[in-house]
Amino acid sequence: MQINRRDFVRYCSASAAALGLSATELGALEEAMANPAAPTVLWLEGAGCSGCSVSLLNRISPTGPTTAGDLLINSVNLAYHPTLMSASGELAVAAANRAYTAGGYVLVVEGAVPTKFGGETCVAWTYTDSSGIVREETFQAAVKRLASRAAAVVSVGNCASFGGMSAAPPNPTGAVSVATATGKPTINVAGCPPHPDWMIWTFVQLLTGKLVSTDTKGRPTGVYSRTVHSRCPRRETDETGQFGRDGYCLEELGCRGPETVAPCPVTFWNNGVNWCIGANAPCIGCTEPSFPQSPLMGGDD
Amino acid sequence: MPTIRTIDPVTRLEGHLKINVTIDTVNGKQQVTEAKATGTLFRGFEQILAGRDPSDAPHITQRVCGVCPVSHGMAAVMTLDACAKTPAPANARILRNLVLGSNYVQSHILHFYHLALMDFVEGPDMPPWKPSWGADKRITGAAAAKLVGNYVAALDMRRKAHEMGAIFGGRLPHPPTFIPGGITAVPKATAIAQFTTYLAELTAFIKNVYIPDVEAVAAAYPDYSTIGRGTGNLLAFGVFDQDATGSTKLLRSGVALAGSTTIKALSVPAITENVTSSWYVGAAQDLPPAQGDTTPVYPKSGAYSWLKAPRYSGAPYEAGPLARMWINGDYRKGISVTDRHRARAAEALKVATAMKTWLGQIKVGQPVYTQYQMPSSASGYGLTEAPRGALGHWATLSGGKISRYQIITPTCWNASPRDLSGKRGPMEQALIGTPISNINEPNEVLRVIHSYDPCLSCAVHVMRPDEDKKLFAVALPHAL
Repeated sequence: MQINRRDFVRYCSASAAALGLSATELGALEEAMANPAAPTVLWLEGAGCSGCSVSLLNRISPTGPTTAGDLLINSVNLAYHPTLMSASGELAVAAANRAYTAGGYVLVVEGAVPTKFGGETCVAWTYTDSSGIVREETFQAAVKRLASRAAAVVSVGNCASFGGMSAAPPNPTGAVSVATATGKPTINVAGCPPHPDWMIWTFVQLLTGKLVSTDTKGRPTGVYSRTVHSRCPRRETDETGQFGRDGYCLEELGCRGPETVAPCPVTFWNNGVNWCIGANAPCIGCTEPSFPQSPLMGGDD
Repeated sequence: MPTIRTIDPVTRLEGHLKINVTIDTVNGKQQVTEAKATGTLFRGFEQILAGRDPSDAPHITQRVCGVCPVSHGMAAVMTLDACAKTPAPANARILRNLVLGSNYVQSHILHFYHLALMDFVEGPDMPPWKPSWGADKRITGAAAAKLVGNYVAALDMRRKAHEMGAIFGGRLPHPPTFIPGGITAVPKATAIAQFTTYLAELTAFIKNVYIPDVEAVAAAYPDYSTIGRGTGNLLAFGVFDQDATGSTKLLRSGVALAGSTTIKALSVPAITENVTSSWYVGAAQDLPPAQGDTTPVYPKSGAYSWLKAPRYSGAPYEAGPLARMWINGDYRKGISVTDRHRARAAEALKVATAMKTWLGQIKVGQPVYTQYQMPSSASGYGLTEAPRGALGHWATLSGGKISRYQIITPTCWNASPRDLSGKRGPMEQALIGTPISNINEPNEVLRVIHSYDPCLSCAVHVMRPDEDKKLFAVALPHAL
């Protein structure tokens, strides 16, 4: 496969400012990438939509074929990822359990953890126990078990971080965040979905052995520091009360930018092509624990 | 001596799927003799939508699926526009189609290269290619290296398809621009030019790389042009409205019984559901989905799936690109694993080609939105197609809020369990007779399943749990 770690580092260099990386951090990253014993990553999907994984795949280097796929393929040992891995069935489960036995991996969780009915509404996998009996392991049990031997637990997206869409009222499956389910603090890469840069920034910190400081909601402060509105290019423009008009401030339409902490006005989306407000769509507050509020767009409250 | 194999999780699909197959030797050939498909995840979207503002529906339903969110957004705005009896302006129809078309291209490329290809090709000795089952991997050496290289190139291409969609979608996945009455994005000449550039590159990739790679796989696996036929019954709701009423579509609606080339008109009242093999309390006979809520129960004797069994005139039907292209008359070579891949690739080119025409139909400066008062009480539905098959939303509004919302997804059709008469769902039926070379590495089973591009999160989405009785009260698709 003609992709390599150098491409990834080159991407990080080009995007260092946007990612908030210093030269020292870049050096440490390069060193980490040169390490053949790449850190093991387990990526689990629970009660979610796979949208975080799809968003991660939208990562791109401005100079080469390098994508976030490169990070996960070449820069880490991606031992388990249900949407991307070749192995199915017992072979897949064995890969996750080998990492579990070794310990010290980074556990990435996408999706919330359903707790009602003993967690039976979301089954992680089927396995054969030591007595030869075929059993199912619920996602709830699998997350608890795998978190117990992880070096770090990263929740990607609002479902894993806060319960999110999966836990929206009336929360039919009793879905909770990974932190609630495991009793362990998690690094919460919030967003529905999160931007690939926000996920990669966090992974880079962990790969280089950095401590990730977080806000009171568990979100890395290196990514989530200011409200959307505070840096919105439209904050000084006239407001509009009607959809489908270009270039106006959308506060009157219920934009949640003033109460939503996210770097969207700096990172933009999809390789800088656009972002919600850039397409005249009000912010729906998808990086906040309160998401999805009712109604999604403000105005009534 | 029959052997039962459980594959759980089936990876490289959206959501959680378990497959049980019985493998036995019949007439000297080791093959699948029985199959059961089980969805293993519930979320509960219709419940979450009840009581909400109607304008939330496009945003909420997109979160059903991160792979095909645009289709849910499209179905939701069609449903709400139908409730208001107000079509969106022409510009909005075109821009919505362009965002949806972008995600078709993205999803079809992703499906072939990143979800299905590993079933056929011996990959490099590294994750995510390894570990893997090695049985019957016929593409090796230089041919494999080329496809693995294209796996990487395709990552780039599917990303670019999302960037293209973001031009009028705002961002992908989960584009925020789909609103009742139209779209929020305002087209400008620069955006159209940008879109045109992306589209040209993607169209060339589909023509010069994707379609030839599908043919290369088909050539290495000629037996798969007869394996995995399934029921042969094909169903499409139709997609990409070409006028305000939707009477003309790029891909028409219709049904074809047993691979017939005589296409019959789709009759929505012919859709029924059966719960014989599903964990639901309910009458054994086929019922129109409009019969109201049913109460699931777990465990239940003879049941093995949380999916109900939707049927059309009592028969199981396959949904997806092959069904669409067959019904539209664009692809009728056959119904099999490789035919599904070929039809999907051909459809990617057809959609991309049409998108170029649509770009020329945008009227810069004309409205993208019709402001209307959402009726306090109304009902309506929107029928469209996700990349993986027919998708319908049904809504009832009362007191200005959503009182009821139902979704029927393609995987409901494709991964459905047995019905009262014992007829298997399409995917189960397609597995029967599939030859298995190595009972411990049934790659052949994965090939058949992946050919349908299943999306299990979409398929099972409603549950109203009652913790004390361990019962689930469910409102799976009804109210037609």
